[in-house]
Amino acid sequence: MSGKRLIPVQCGLSDVAGVSRRGFLGGTAVGVGGALAADMRAVNGLRAEEIAGELRRGEKHVILLWLAGGASQLETWDPKPGVKTGGPFAAIPTNVAGIQVSELLPKLAQRMHLTAVIRSLNTKIADHGRGADLVERGRLDDPGLRYPDLGAVVAKELGRLESTVPDYVSLYTSTEGRRKGTSGFLGARYAPLFLAENMAPPNTGLHERLTAAEHQDRAALRDLLSKRFTAEHRGSTVGSLNSAYQRVQGMMASAGLFNIEQEPAEVRARYGPTQFGEQCLIARRLVEAGVPFVKVARAWWDSHGQNFETHLELCADLDHCMSVLLDDLQERGLLEKTLVITLGEFGRTPGINASLGRDHFASAWSCSLSGLGIRGGVVHGATDAEGHTVVDGEASAGDLFATILQAVGIDHTHEYMVGSRPTPLADFGSKPIRSVLV
Amino acid sequence: MRMNDEPVAAMPAATTPATPQAAAAAAVPFVPSKVSIDRTVRLPSMTFCLARHVPSGRVFCGGADFGLHSFDPAAEKPETRPLSEVRHSSYVTGVVNAAGTLISGGYDRSLIWWNAETGEQLRKVEGAHDRWIRSLAVSPDGLRLATVADDMRTKIWDTQSGACLLTLDGYDLQTPHGFPSMLYAVCFSADGRRLATGNKTGKVLIRDVATGEIQQTIETPVMYTWDPKARRHSIGGIRSLAFSGDGSLLAVGGMGQVGNIDHLEGKSRIEVFRLPTGERVHEIEDSKYKGLVEKLQFSGDQKWLLAAGGDNGGFLSAWSLETGKLLAQEKLGNHLHAFEMLSDRTLVTVGHDQASHVTLSAG
Repeated sequence: MSGKRLIPVQCGLSDVAGVSRRGFLGGTAVGVGGALAADMRAVNGLRAEEIAGELRRGEKHVILLWLAGGASQLETWDPKPGVKTGGPFAAIPTNVAGIQVSELLPKLAQRMHLTAVIRSLNTKIADHGRGADLVERGRLDDPGLRYPDLGAVVAKELGRLESTVPDYVSLYTSTEGRRKGTSGFLGARYAPLFLAENMAPPNTGLHERLTAAEHQDRAALRDLLSKRFTAEHRGSTVGSLNSAYQRVQGMMASAGLFNIEQEPAEVRARYGPTQFGEQCLIARRLVEAGVPFVKVARAWWDSHGQNFETHLELCADLDHCMSVLLDDLQERGLLEKTLVITLGEFGRTPGINASLGRDHFASAWSCSLSGLGIRGGVVHGATDAEGHTVVDGEASAGDLFATILQAVGIDHTHEYMVGSRPTPLADFGSKPIRSVLV
Repeated sequence: MRMNDEPVAAMPAATTPATPQAAAAAAVPFVPSKVSIDRTVRLPSMTFCLARHVPSGRVFCGGADFGLHSFDPAAEKPETRPLSEVRHSSYVTGVVNAAGTLISGGYDRSLIWWNAETGEQLRKVEGAHDRWIRSLAVSPDGLRLATVADDMRTKIWDTQSGACLLTLDGYDLQTPHGFPSMLYAVCFSADGRRLATGNKTGKVLIRDVATGEIQQTIETPVMYTWDPKARRHSIGGIRSLAFSGDGSLLAVGGMGQVGNIDHLEGKSRIEVFRLPTGERVHEIEDSKYKGLVEKLQFSGDQKWLLAAGGDNGGFLSAWSLETGKLLAQEKLGNHLHAFEMLSDRTLVTVGHDQASHVTLSAG
């Protein structure tokens, strides 16, 4: 990958060494190898590292399990049993010697070798909106400059330009803390396919009076006419229009990815009956089909009241669904290509309020990273005995952002040129947490 | 989290009047119109349950420091003291006085028998349940202990031998939406022959104590705060149960539907059923003091019902069983988890981190 990436406002496409990736890659996502062979002149114009970068596209994925509202680190990854703030749950050993997690995560405990836990996040902002902005983007917006969130950056960096599947899918059927996500200065091309009402994109079916063959014929005719027109009228507007058509067609073709009825019954049963389980299964189907970034939001972690009842219920869901997801990805050879993250906008207070709840807390909390680029069986950082402060390995939102990018092979120091302003992928000064990276 | 302690069903009868004037006053049924807090005592930790130990005059309570503590509720400045250095290994969620012996249970799934005078641990049953023990109740004669837990089982124990006499199923381990269910509440009838239990989804089972046979099922679906659209999460459920003294009524406490699940924002909710018909005679929702109803108790004359609970703050409310209307109510510190009657007009409550001595009075 090159050091700087221009962000042309008109279409969001960047050219490398004078040859567009569109020309390099050819017509379809699955045709990377074919396109490579068919256009050696273009290949010769590229540096070897850029070729390697292009080939990596479509082969790496991120699934973000967004724990909206803020899960408690004490009831998940950083248990403190027996102290005043510890709550009622015990800590249990994992399959990695010396690492314990809450007893609410027994299945994930047996998959600890796949997972790195960061126990030392200090993101400072403990209100939902700004906290989510910070964690999702790795920094807060500057005046006049809106930063893209993690999904948009991954979509841009790992998505194929000619992909027939969406680059960024956000499953957010939960009503609490619902956020669409933002592609910021990267533009609408990298905005998420945002599914809030249903678990499948709307209006992707064929018109009832149209057969698949007729639809295909129409597309072929449009393509033929478009090529004739393009030959005589070159320009970015025409290219952009063609790209939009291709993406719509791709969306229609990929609508079936959201239909878990296409999965064998035993696979559906394995993920379980909850909506979160179904959405994790959709996430697996999407990454299997080449989608670079999938966000699955599971809400109602904001446990100001009845924190322990809440975590009994929701951790059971998380523990089961994430464990099945990791297993399924691994069995399909996808886990080494897929980073699975659990993250929310913050954690929860060590102190327990009168409603037996825990409130917002961003000073010493946890997240987990599993799979692609991650050294499993590792804990980074530590909090004090009661969990009030970070005492080792403090990490900021920018550090976490940089870590995630590095894990999936994106150099966080590379810069986008936004107009004339160089803008690094991760915030200035952010440092990846090397201890969790392979 | 709550407990049902002896006497389970009804408040004590009024004490013998000392003067003719008092006798005249006693002839008029007592209906509370005012709740007064006499004094409070700071507790060592969040406290979920209490039991009155008549011989010593002390009240024993358990909570988040895994141990039991006691204090004298009649003292002007009550001081707490630990029962023992020995503790449970998680929150203590129930304590009862079984004919002079204390029995506690908690999230560590164990039951412990204690000498209330010396603090000696008399017996410990590890793994009394497979999951969290939510509540304990003792029969009026002190011979039977009932426990409920998140293994969704009800167990009946011999308090003298510690033997488990019955293990009773009847609830699903999961909610209809695939999440872990919880079995929160249990109480005996005043004659000790019936046992009521209530779970997260609003299902009440009334059983024969001797055989465990289910005599009646009552559904309170509003107590289940699941909403498939607005809230794929539920934190309500049946949290309290009480039989009336003659066994003709059953009160069920919890929380109504909530708009904001992050807090206990639902209206506190009580449903009263006539037995054995199952007719619902009252459906009480209080929007002034919201949250969970954690403890219920009928008055001795069955004219009114006392309820305690809360969201972040606590409440104590008296409701008329004739009209379903509020008779008296007071905000009472933090969320209340339990209370115990000391007389027909005085009681001790425990909440988040304090206990209060409270007097009910007529206007």
